[in-house]
Amino acid sequence: MAKGQKWETRPLDFWNKAKELRAGWQKSIESKEKVVGQGNTFDLSFDWQAAFPAVTVIEDNPVGSMMQNKNEPYARKARLASEVRGWGREICGYQGNCWGAQFLGYIDDGTAWPDRKFVIPMPCVCDQHAKRGQQARDFENMPQWMADRLIYFGEYDEEREKPMLEHKVYCNYRIINDMERIFGQQFDEEECAKLMAGSKEVREYSREISYLMARTIPSPLSVKDLYSVYTIGGLTKIDPDATVQFWRMVRDEVKWRAENQIAAVGNEQFRFIEAHPPSWHYMKYYRYLEQYGAICLGSEYSHGAGSNYEVRPDGSIGLRVDKTYPDDMEMTTREDIIRVGSGALARPAGGFKTNEYIYRDRIVQFAQFMQADGALLAIWRHGVGCTLTRKEQAMYLRDAGLNVIHYEGSQPGDRTDLDEKRLLDQLDTWMESQGLRKVTE
Amino acid sequence: MDFKALVENRHEYAKAWKAKTGGKVLGWYEPYFPEEIAYAAGILPVRILARHYPDDVSDKWIYACCYPVRDMVNQFLKGRYDYVDGLVNVEGCQWMYNSWEVAVNNNPKLWNHYLFLPDHTDAPTSKTVLRSELNVMKGLMEEWTGKKITDEDLDRSIEIHNKNRLLLKQISEMRRMDRPLIHGAEMMQIVLASQLMDKAEMNEILEKFIPELEARKPGEDRIRLMLIGSETWDTELEEMVEAMGGDIVVDELDNGTSYYWNNIIPQKDRLMAIGLRYLGRPKNPIKDNNWRRRPQHIFELAEDYNVDGALIVKQIYCHLHGTDNYAVWKILRERYIPYHFFERDTTLPIEDTRLRLESFMNMLKPGLTHLAGWHKAYGE
Ligand code: SF4
Ligand code: SF4
Repeated sequence: MAKGQKWETRPLDFWNKAKELRAGWQKSIESKEKVVGQGNTFDLSFDWQAAFPAVTVIEDNPVGSMMQNKNEPYARKARLASEVRGWGREICGYQGNCWGAQFLGYIDDGTAWPDRKFVIPMPCVCDQHAKRGQQARDFENMPQWMADRLIYFGEYDEEREKPMLEHKVYCNYRIINDMERIFGQQFDEEECAKLMAGSKEVREYSREISYLMARTIPSPLSVKDLYSVYTIGGLTKIDPDATVQFWRMVRDEVKWRAENQIAAVGNEQFRFIEAHPPSWHYMKYYRYLEQYGAICLGSEYSHGAGSNYEVRPDGSIGLRVDKTYPDDMEMTTREDIIRVGSGALARPAGGFKTNEYIYRDRIVQFAQFMQADGALLAIWRHGVGCTLTRKEQAMYLRDAGLNVIHYEGSQPGDRTDLDEKRLLDQLDTWMESQGLRKVTE
Repeated sequence: MDFKALVENRHEYAKAWKAKTGGKVLGWYEPYFPEEIAYAAGILPVRILARHYPDDVSDKWIYACCYPVRDMVNQFLKGRYDYVDGLVNVEGCQWMYNSWEVAVNNNPKLWNHYLFLPDHTDAPTSKTVLRSELNVMKGLMEEWTGKKITDEDLDRSIEIHNKNRLLLKQISEMRRMDRPLIHGAEMMQIVLASQLMDKAEMNEILEKFIPELEARKPGEDRIRLMLIGSETWDTELEEMVEAMGGDIVVDELDNGTSYYWNNIIPQKDRLMAIGLRYLGRPKNPIKDNNWRRRPQHIFELAEDYNVDGALIVKQIYCHLHGTDNYAVWKILRERYIPYHFFERDTTLPIEDTRLRLESFMNMLKPGLTHLAGWHKAYGE
């Protein structure tokens, strides 16, 4: 792109809608009428809980990172409360914050910590995900379910997939049945099928958004903007119809901006990627880098595109085609629905955290897809799943001609070790060493 | 028998074994690796052990991580394991995985395999997944070695491994005595040696050793301690405890009692039998996530071995034990079992650790009636 070129830029219209939806979510998790569980989506759909009349699932990641964002002294106090009870300092800050809050019994505004009634740890390759939830159950007796993130190396193997798929379906099926039995609530299969269709539609929108961000110069959206709405409907669960409407709205606006060359960063001249969540408590560095005309396009974590797109040997970009069930597959029984919802692949097709295992150099493809010039890779002392193989990925990216730097911190939801001043100094050096200069008004 | 020397000479031993048999050596990392299958293929499975070598290479490849993981990377990059022909990692600790994949990426000639062993060990479907994955691994090993693994090979291997575990347990039982005939450091060396040597040969050594052990005279009363926490690869701590009048009478470490605690119950489907043994072994933190069994198991060991107190020793950056400690502390507190917690890093700081142990043991002493000679009252 031409150096010094300027594009028009505008505020985002979906911003206020996002704010409103997030406020609604906060209210919903405080609701006393619902059975509140802690955990995550299992494979069914982001909104499976809505197929029960009154179940809410709170996920630690956004809760833990919000605690750190909103109230540093409180988050510190919460982590200390975990540590004095035996939790290690090196465990993921999301959990340190959440479990500390449970020990303290209140959240940062002084109101009571919403008691959990069940736990479903997210099946994920990150050990901390697998171990999460135990504390809630150790703290107070409550049902906990488990599932696995299934991994094997090499090509897709139908024979290996079979027992793995059965395992996945069994685990999901059991969760639903047990929840009915324990909480006396009827699971509505039809509603679940509808929710799954909604999730599918949302996935298509986010795929389109990723494509537009990646392939349009100037990019119509930065990851900083995307992160402001990223969890809506997913980790921060809201009404399923509202979720679909919201993401359609985001897609439409991003598409319009791309068509009309409305830039996220008006002086875009350096595009970079990341490899995992940023320091949620210090996202100022995104805006800081924009002064240099540097735009962050996100990571395999922020784009399902890490697995959705591929760069073909001839250099063209194409949709990665993974095995799915046919669209018109009959779903009459609960098992059918759960089977389809669990996906046609036992082993995830790729994407963040799976690539660290099987497709370590796919990050290079991701960088090519994003048309990136550089990479800013955080390394976390207390984040095993988000640091694993990061140094190797840096080597692959360097070999592919990208300009790469690391910065260190505790974990995306724990600011203890992040030296903010030092980070900005590092970023200045990174930019200046490439001949980029801050834009002065 | 000098078991410590066996462990110290492990590289020479494996090289000599290779020269003698012409077989392949397979390094393994995770406590859940079913050695039985490799052994049935005529392979020598050896556990990769961390040591305290100066490290100037691992930083380029990894970040954070516990010291053992760093050290294993360090050793591989420096060629200390150049006699190893293959490396296998089992789904488990992610830092350990990191160590494995760096070693593999830097040694393209190494045969390598990642075995998926469900973290959710309790579902009825977990065992079918594992059986299927074991079958895949068996096939790959057959391809690698050019040897078909028959049922008879598996039976023989299972028998040898079961025998090894029984012998280790038999020795361990002698630690339940008021004045154990074997102390913690020696016991740990025996268990480590079992993870490094040809099992059939090790069994012969143990069979000769047991009568020698039984003929030993009991020593003085000692403070009976239990060791809990991240796995270790040497016995510095155990030796220090012994030098101060204590004894680690039991441990709950992956490479300690958990290595030999349960046996394979034979069945027609050999791979299923092997799989069930690994799914059912005492849980380490990553596998103890559906039902909570680990704290209860720790408590049972503490009762059975009549411990006066426990040492919980975690490697710095060991996120798994960092996530489990809460429940371990809780059960020990509930049962009034005194414990002392500390972290270890690249080396064990001698003075610092000695001081901590001394204070802990001094705190325990006044309440210990057995130190006043109970065994004499029973005419032992
Ligand atoms: S990947 Fe990192 S941030 Fe996510 S749960 Fe694991 S340790 Fe925490
Ligand atoms: S000591 Fe802990 S972190 Fe290190 S390899 Fe073992 S389980 Fe993993």
